Amino acid sequence: MSIVEFANVTKRFGSLVVLDQIDLNIESGEVVVVIGPSGSGKSTLLRCINVLEEIDGGDLVVDGISVRSGSKNVRLIRQEAGMVFQQFNLFPQMTALDNVAFGPQHVRGLSRTEARDAARDLLAKVGLAERTHHYPSELSGGQQQRVAIARALAVKPKLVLFDEPTSALDPELRHEVLRVMQVLAEEGMTMIVVTHEMSFARRVGSRLIFMEDGKIAMDGTPAELLDRAENPRLREFLQHVQ
Amino acid sequence: MDFQWSAVVDALPALFRGAQLTVFITVAGLVGGVIIGTVAGLMRAYGNAIVNGIAYFYIELIRGTPIVVQVMFIYFALPTLADIRIDPLSAAIIAITVNAGAYIAEIVRGAFISVHKGLKEAGLALGLPMWKVLVYVIGPVAFRRLIPPLGNQFIVSLKDTSLFIVIGVGELTRQGQEIMAANFRAVEVWSAVAIFYLILTGTLTLILRIIEKRMRIL
Repeated sequence: MSIVEFANVTKRFGSLVVLDQIDLNIESGEVVVVIGPSGSGKSTLLRCINVLEEIDGGDLVVDGISVRSGSKNVRLIRQEAGMVFQQFNLFPQMTALDNVAFGPQHVRGLSRTEARDAARDLLAKVGLAERTHHYPSELSGGQQQRVAIARALAVKPKLVLFDEPTSALDPELRHEVLRVMQVLAEEGMTMIVVTHEMSFARRVGSRLIFMEDGKIAMDGTPAELLDRAENPRLREFLQHVQ
Repeated sequence: MDFQWSAVVDALPALFRGAQLTVFITVAGLVGGVIIGTVAGLMRAYGNAIVNGIAYFYIELIRGTPIVVQVMFIYFALPTLADIRIDPLSAAIIAITVNAGAYIAEIVRGAFISVHKGLKEAGLALGLPMWKVLVYVIGPVAFRRLIPPLGNQFIVSLKDTSLFIVIGVGELTRQGQEIMAANFRAVEVWSAVAIFYLILTGTLTLILRIIEKRMRIL
């Protein structure tokens, strides 16, 4: 069974069709990189999976649960589908440690001590063992995003959604975030990554999806799509991002 | 004219009693006002159309009428309408509660909706129910933004208690008026009353500033 199954999914913002009858299956262990021009529906595709956007047509099943089966089930989906945002969205009133410990404590019911111990390990894993007691405002963008990745992982999700995780970062800070993501991919985490980082797509992605006008225009391995790039729109897009 | 210090000294005990009552009405009324205001503000910010509509009606009704009319209604009209007897002190506290609640509701709503929506999404994306997102994620950030406008409203409400002179509550202004009626020392009495109010509002400002300083302002 696929972990994410889009069946004829449509999403509209007013009269604008953002996702146009999408069919897509994603298997456990895949690292799917989603690319495409802005407005093509990449972020919306991601946000429908953890129900930050509600779909208007078709069905979308995540980890065996339909996104349309009520708010309690939606919370279960969200616990299994962590998300990393472009703008990090760390909780500003909490230290790095508390940001990471928060989810396990309130969602998984761990005790405060257990949650904090686990959070410390995760922060060490993303290279921030020395920053546990810093507030987000005291961290660089790259550090904040790594805390955000640790926060998403802390709830022990089955897949992680990355919504342009490096787009808000200075070029020299991107690699530290991408490196953490690569390690995660190598450990076998299921990941869906919306990004413009083509070298990451090629190096880490197991599958590449090119979206255009709310549709999946191309779907294949990174090598297939990037080296041959037969689709003229994909070729044009690649020229712009490289 | 010569400023008669003895008139001020003679007035002090009564003014102290009045100030105590003013503080009591203000504190009791504002405790109620903060509770009602928080509920109504969250109803406005996050409620469905009906819940939102109820809160909206309450806020517009109160903001659209003077507080003197409100307290007159509570004290004089309510007993006729619903056969409820209310003593002046209770009427005063209820008036502050209901009145401040409406303004605080808008302050609360403004503070909550000003919090970046990414924080709400980050909370929800972890799998939290909405109420936990409000309590643990948005609430603490909103609370810090609440303090300056809330301080404003506290000061306004404290001074509004002077209007309860109309229902005969023996608060600070009423005490001043009674002394004045007896000795006709207008300058001395009203100067003393004004200074009492300044001390009360000044203390309030100081407390708010300490709270603000002790929190990380975001």
